Amino acid sequence: MQFSKNNSYREYFIERFGIGNEIEKYDFYEFAQSVWAYSGEYYEDKKIEVMGIRALRIKKVYKPTTAFLRIIGRYATKNVISLSSNDGMKFLKGENIDGVCGNTRGYVVVKSGSDVLGCGLCAGKLMSQIPKKYRIGETWL
Amino acid sequence: MNIEDYRDMIPDFEKFVARMNEPQPYWLRVNTLKITEDELIHRLEDKGFVLERFAGMNAYRIKNMPVKHPGATVEHSLGYYYVQDFSSMVPALLLSPSPGELVLDMAAAPGSKTTLLAELMKNTGTIVANDVSDNRIKALAANIERLGVSNAVITKGDATSRRFGAKFDKILLDAPCTGEGTYRKNQKERMPNLSDHIRMSKIQKNMLKNAERHLKEGGILVYSTCTFNPLENEEVVQYGVEKLGLKIENVELAIPHDKGVSSWRERSFEKVSDKMIRIYPHRIDTGGMVIAVLKK
Repeated sequence: MQFSKNNSYREYFIERFGIGNEIEKYDFYEFAQSVWAYSGEYYEDKKIEVMGIRALRIKKVYKPTTAFLRIIGRYATKNVISLSSNDGMKFLKGENIDGVCGNTRGYVVVKSGSDVLGCGLCAGKLMSQIPKKYRIGETWL
Repeated sequence: MNIEDYRDMIPDFEKFVARMNEPQPYWLRVNTLKITEDELIHRLEDKGFVLERFAGMNAYRIKNMPVKHPGATVEHSLGYYYVQDFSSMVPALLLSPSPGELVLDMAAAPGSKTTLLAELMKNTGTIVANDVSDNRIKALAANIERLGVSNAVITKGDATSRRFGAKFDKILLDAPCTGEGTYRKNQKERMPNLSDHIRMSKIQKNMLKNAERHLKEGGILVYSTCTFNPLENEEVVQYGVEKLGLKIENVELAIPHDKGVSSWRERSFEKVSDKMIRIYPHRIDTGGMVIAVLKK
């Protein structure tokens, strides 16, 4: 599998979320309609399956991943939505939240207190983009 | 094999047998890549967890919890901690990688040790985390992602023979094994028989041989298994010393443990036994682990 380096994707995180120097510690690699953020040294091997953390999915527009926003989202200065504790739990269950987006549109970093919960999509209401594997169960604390 | 076959090999054998028949407690490790120990422990205690920290280390025994499984919390989903038996943390702690090093985890899935290595390296340097099967790699990738490990490359290949793309400063070979040390967690599993141990020992020697091939001069290799049989431990390490020219290192470990086995069934392992580490379940209420630190 061939991962090819392309650090121009840093610009997305700088422009969309106002992330500063923290983004510089990652190199970005393209592979199979995804962009991967990697903080290690370059390593060449023909059998690479994963390189760092998937940061973006390349669709019509770039879609940031919850996993990478959970690392980098604490440095975001714009397009951030902060939820109450109750709404945060609903968001983590995959539920949509009304009345929190205001004029914001598009993908956002969703926080609750000091926790970065992941990726949301503001399209009138806040639509949870938490992948099923990260959603919390009804009986979870 | 019957556990009685180890009567002369394991100190305080009656206590060992009694402990092996008890369920194993859960342990957790705070993922300091994402949160401080203090903050997480306060959060979990506020939710009703009762935790006991071991000897000032980032290792907490869960004495009581308000959920059925220790992973059923928001904090777990956010990657703030990893449920990992204490004995299983020791190989990565002994490898002790530094930030910036090039490290190979040869049989990495499901990633408990890989994620600890990344934490020790502060997400810098490079970890090549290898495993052989798609399903195991899926689990490895999921854990690496959940814990926010960004300095790891996952590769797929057979660790007995595959060529890696570099020589490494440090290698962790937590070898596939018959898993007697996990019996407390999986009590319905049958104990392995002698032919299982012999078969695994051959595979482990091939992995060690391939590990040595990819280790830099002066590099450190930690060999570990979660099984008790000397054929999968002392015999493999002795093979590494005698046939591959590796040197076994003296190790200081502030965790209750026993030395390696010097002989078993007319086989002598005296060249390596004094420097090997055996962690038995009856010492600090964990699973079992056997470890050697080797240098090229």
